[in-house]
Amino acid sequence: MIKVKNLKRIYHKGIVEVHALKGVSFEVKKGEFLGLMGPSGSGKSTLLHQLGLLDTPTGGEIFIDEINILKLSENEKTLFRLNQLGYVFQEYAILGELTALENVYLPLLMTGKKKKDCINLGMEMLDKVGLGERAHHLQRELSGGEQQRVAVARALVNNPKILFADEPCANLDTESSRNILELFRKLNEELGQTILMVTHEEWHKKYVDRIIYLKDGLIEKKGVQDGH
Amino acid sequence: MFKNLKVSFFLACKSIKRSNIGTTVLTIAIMSLIFVNLIFLPSIVEGIAETIEQQARDYMYGNILIEPKEDDFYIDNVDSLQKKINSLPGVLGTAPRYMVGATFTHKDKFIGGTLHSASPADEIVVTKYHEGMISGEYLSESDTDEIIMGLDLTGEEDKEGNEADLGGVKVGDKIEVTFSNGVIKEYRLKGIFSVSKMGMDSFAFITEKEMESVLGSNNQASQILIKLNELGTEKEFKKKFMELGIKEKIKTWEEKTAGITEVVVSSFRIITLISTIVSLIIAVVVIFVIIYINTIYKRKQIGILKAIGIDQRVIIRSYILQALFYCFSGIIIGSILLWILLSYLTTNPISFPVGTIIPVIGTSLIIQSILSLLIVSLIAGFIPSWKTARESILKAIWG
Ligand SMILES: Nc1ncnc2c1ncn2[C@@H]1O[C@H](COP(=O)(O)OP(=O)(O)OP(=O)(O)O)[C@@H](O)[C@H]1O
Ligand SMILES: [Mg+2]
Repeated sequence: MIKVKNLKRIYHKGIVEVHALKGVSFEVKKGEFLGLMGPSGSGKSTLLHQLGLLDTPTGGEIFIDEINILKLSENEKTLFRLNQLGYVFQEYAILGELTALENVYLPLLMTGKKKKDCINLGMEMLDKVGLGERAHHLQRELSGGEQQRVAVARALVNNPKILFADEPCANLDTESSRNILELFRKLNEELGQTILMVTHEEWHKKYVDRIIYLKDGLIEKKGVQDGH
Repeated sequence: MFKNLKVSFFLACKSIKRSNIGTTVLTIAIMSLIFVNLIFLPSIVEGIAETIEQQARDYMYGNILIEPKEDDFYIDNVDSLQKKINSLPGVLGTAPRYMVGATFTHKDKFIGGTLHSASPADEIVVTKYHEGMISGEYLSESDTDEIIMGLDLTGEEDKEGNEADLGGVKVGDKIEVTFSNGVIKEYRLKGIFSVSKMGMDSFAFITEKEMESVLGSNNQASQILIKLNELGTEKEFKKKFMELGIKEKIKTWEEKTAGITEVVVSSFRIITLISTIVSLIIAVVVIFVIIYINTIYKRKQIGILKAIGIDQRVIIRSYILQALFYCFSGIIIGSILLWILLSYLTTNPISFPVGTIIPVIGTSLIIQSILSLLIVSLIAGFIPSWKTARESILKAIWG
């Protein structure tokens, strides 16, 4: 499903070059729940941003379903993100001017569906993440865990091929974290959702199928290991 | 191109609905005041121009003025000419006038001016001096030893120091008139009129019969004022008159006043232009600042929108729609304010040197104001959102 070849990303900070990714190659199979671990600054977020088309790598190749996504135009990338990818960020990245439900159905609206259908599908999705009752609340009226679940619902509403999650539990208490992780697990097992998740916590390991360890912008050779 | 307008509209609606109510009200208030300002001053200037033109028609020229041929001092055969013109449907009336230089004397005061002849029955149809009498009465057909004068000639009693009038003569006073041919005759001041500050208040009238008997003229006039049924048909009638074989000069009131109004109004127009430009600049700045602050404040939101696959054009359009919302709300509220202001000014007109002014709002002024405010909003809405939405996603979300 995902094929990454010799991926490089160099940031320029003034005259200093930061080699955040120094040539990363790996594959992810369809239906896999992959964990990305490694020390702070090892390039986990950077890798996820490249895969999720949020950033453009300095070198290397990324194939998703045989499509060389780096060859896509800006507009095609936008459409690809809308239709094929879903994101959950570390911070609660939901839109403050929209209610939980509106946040969730916005990507559907963008695909040109009728508003009524969008609302129904959005509601269904919110029910799935257990937030049906908070559908009409704004961001400021939701707890961190609830916001993150809204983000998950939004990420999944367009049936993405891949779900990217960058430390989705970083700001959550253990209870809320477990909630999210179990939701991921369930999605993965029941719907075969492909998931790439960055995480720090050792206890998260038991939820994922496989873990890739990053260090200094490279995959640690010994580092590929099975999860649970 | 606009297939995703629905999404832009959705985002714009939510953004307005959930924005700070105080900011929204303030923005709309500013926009409406700008709109009022765009319309109001020009409408006053237009009102001034219309008043001047109205007075020119009512007291000076009628709709169309006939003047002697080149090289002639007078129009001859006035009666037959009048008959010819009056017979045309659409002509309300004609008023010939004979004008001579004269000196008016009362006691030790004297002043030079132009004495007009008036045929009262004709004048009442064509001009409005009879409505502008502030004391005494208008001339009647049989008057011989009577004169009526404008306020600028008679002067006002209490006002001192003005040498250019007769120092406040009253109805019933005797006025000695020295005609340009040397004849001196005494007239009783029958009435005083005040109609306009455009010079007509220094006119004086005696009856046509009286003028002819003094000057020995017959069937002659210095000009003939023509009143038409309908304003705006002057050009058409000018042509008809020419077709009737009238050889005298035929001028519409517009041709006669073009210079005068231009002089008076053009200086106002410069002020109006400056005020319009300033208003528009304020509008640009206000909308720009609001949208700019809005977009900076929402940089992260814009980043998220882009990350989840919302086309940046959709995002930009949603901000333009917001700017348009402020623009149109401002126009609507501004129109209401204007309407209140105008209803007040219609019942309480402003007194200007040229007379009382009622603001005149033409369609073109309205369209022009709406368009300029619209364009300004579009630009001010577009630039900041375009700049922000163009940023890379990661930079927008994480700074
Ligand atoms: N926009 C940027 N400009 C410059 N340097 C950057 C930028 N983003 C990341 N870096 C650098 O690239 C390296 C990798 O960063 P990255 O955020 O991918 O690490 P990470 O593994 O996600 O760390 P963490 O666990 O703390 O989130 C770091 O040294 C970081 O300072
Ligand atoms: Mg990170």
